Amino acid sequence: MTRYTQLLLSGFLLLFLLAGVSLTMGAESLPIKTVLQTLMHGGDQDFIVNYYRLPRILISILVGMGLAISGVLTQGIIRNPLASPDLMGISGGAGLAACTVLLIWPNIGNVWLPPIALLGGFSAALVIWLLNRWHDPSPARLALVGIAISAFLSSCINFLLILHPVEINSAMIWLTGSLWGRNWDYVWPMLPWLTVLVPFSFYLAWSLDLFALGEDTADALGVNTKGLQIAALLSAVALASVSVAVCGTIGFVGLLAPHLARLLVGSRHKLVLPVAALVGALLVLSADTLARNLAPPLELPAGVLTAIIGAPYFLFLLHRYKGY
Amino acid sequence: MNILSSARQSKTLTPALLLSTLILGFIISLYGQSEFSLQANDLWQIMIAPDSQDIKQQVILSLRLPRSLVACLIGFNLGVAGLLMQGLTRNPLASPTLFAINSGAACLMALNSIGFAFFSALPSELATFSGALLGGLLVFSLGGGLRSDSNALRLILAGIAVNGLLSSLTRAALIIADDTAYSILHWLSGSFSEIDWHSWSQLWPLSLVALLLAFSTSRGLNLNALGEQTANSLGINITWLRVRVCLAVLLLTSISVTLAGPIVFVGLIAPHLARALFNNNHLVLLPASGLLGAALVCWADLLSRSIIPPAETPVGIITALIGTPFFIFLVLKGKL
Repeated sequence: MTRYTQLLLSGFLLLFLLAGVSLTMGAESLPIKTVLQTLMHGGDQDFIVNYYRLPRILISILVGMGLAISGVLTQGIIRNPLASPDLMGISGGAGLAACTVLLIWPNIGNVWLPPIALLGGFSAALVIWLLNRWHDPSPARLALVGIAISAFLSSCINFLLILHPVEINSAMIWLTGSLWGRNWDYVWPMLPWLTVLVPFSFYLAWSLDLFALGEDTADALGVNTKGLQIAALLSAVALASVSVAVCGTIGFVGLLAPHLARLLVGSRHKLVLPVAALVGALLVLSADTLARNLAPPLELPAGVLTAIIGAPYFLFLLHRYKGY
Repeated sequence: MNILSSARQSKTLTPALLLSTLILGFIISLYGQSEFSLQANDLWQIMIAPDSQDIKQQVILSLRLPRSLVACLIGFNLGVAGLLMQGLTRNPLASPTLFAINSGAACLMALNSIGFAFFSALPSELATFSGALLGGLLVFSLGGGLRSDSNALRLILAGIAVNGLLSSLTRAALIIADDTAYSILHWLSGSFSEIDWHSWSQLWPLSLVALLLAFSTSRGLNLNALGEQTANSLGINITWLRVRVCLAVLLLTSISVTLAGPIVFVGLIAPHLARALFNNNHLVLLPASGLLGAALVCWADLLSRSIIPPAETPVGIITALIGTPFFIFLVLKGKL
């Protein structure tokens, strides 16, 4: 067994354990025996375990994976360590679109959320791309523009939520990202998108390794660089948007997970991508578990916790980054 | 730019236009956009026939007048604070918002008002002041601003990260304290809805001290613009200048946050507009930037009331919606 497989296996084990712990903890803490029984046969705690905690855990894992993979792809294509879907305003665009539609048609089916968020994410990406074309800013400056765009979009969301007051927890979903009240109805609309996009990203990963050598070299080695760039960016935007459609902008996961994965396994995308996905899932799951248990029965938005971990890490990256 | 350059040439026209924009905004905000129908005529009536029984006059005198005054003064404070920071750091993006001074003040203000640990024992002005100090210090130390080879861009990015951290902490604290309070969102975005004469009496003495301090530094800032070494050799004590400027910025920002929450981007926009309209002398720029900030906040407040009457949009959202495109423009224009 190589070190890499060991790492992956232990990551899976950790995720599994964390999911188990998360099932037992909450406003009502349950012994593991009860949880296992309920998972198999239902029973008194059927609602809490099978209909409340289990889908939330699944969504945390899926969303964490989606955001992390999206981060790997963005950083790989733009070759900018400060890039990530939420710092580039893509999550902001997706969140604004989903939030607007939900406020106008509160009864719209959840199936429609991912495509609508996708539309918003793509529009934000288009704006960034156009700005990039006209001005060709340096990587750090591009990060700044992206942050400004996400600040603009989130003040639009803030504005909308004040025009149409909703319950504070649902408002927090769109403002900081939260898994409050997410259940099976939100798992199903995500799944088809992720089953297509995740394998596709893995397929892209090996060409990204060649791309890291520089565009010209990759061209000479037979990679269709333009096509690769477009495909990777499109799937990055799509993955981020689908995640945002379900639980809002959970910040810094798309930035943090790829960096942590690179620290663990080096810089080859083929290896980084699965580890990053695991790390992202672990991050969001532990953030949400903490969010539910810090002050039960109150809930914190998971996005607040990821920001509290992520912002210091971003500062650390700034400290190391030299290419201003 | 044609208009701007010709405006710069005329010594009287620009200040006159600026002042009249401010005064017009002030007067309209006294009677305009209210659920209680007021007319310009009511203002006139107050002057010629004051009547303490008249409900309209009372609304204007006890609700509208302090609100407009506070809005103008806070705008003035923020405009001056932004200019001071840009003058001292020679970084065109320096401002209370981007250097996390606003959000630091807001964070400790929130901890203070929910009664968290020893913060509740502090008076609110002191809490916001130490929050502002904390935010600013964090940004400067983490962004490498204390070293001589510090990079302007890195400082800004550090500011944004600290901002994100502090505002997350604020949100977490407020949600744990009271998960039903939707007004949290209002206060966190900056709003004038709870201003009365008491706020005004809290605001003006501290502002006056801080503004006097600010104006006393203008000569030093003019020389500082030539570079630290030049300023030093011209007889300016840079450390003492820094201390005075920082104190003024912290006072101006923290008193504004205490009363109205963090009103973002005013301190970024006003100084840039002032520089476009006037010359680079800080003696002129300081009042100009202050007046521009006052006009901006005054009109933004008016706008915030008129979007969905009778409800109010927090004024900070309006300034954010104006400020972020302006910020993008500054970054792309390479003003860094």
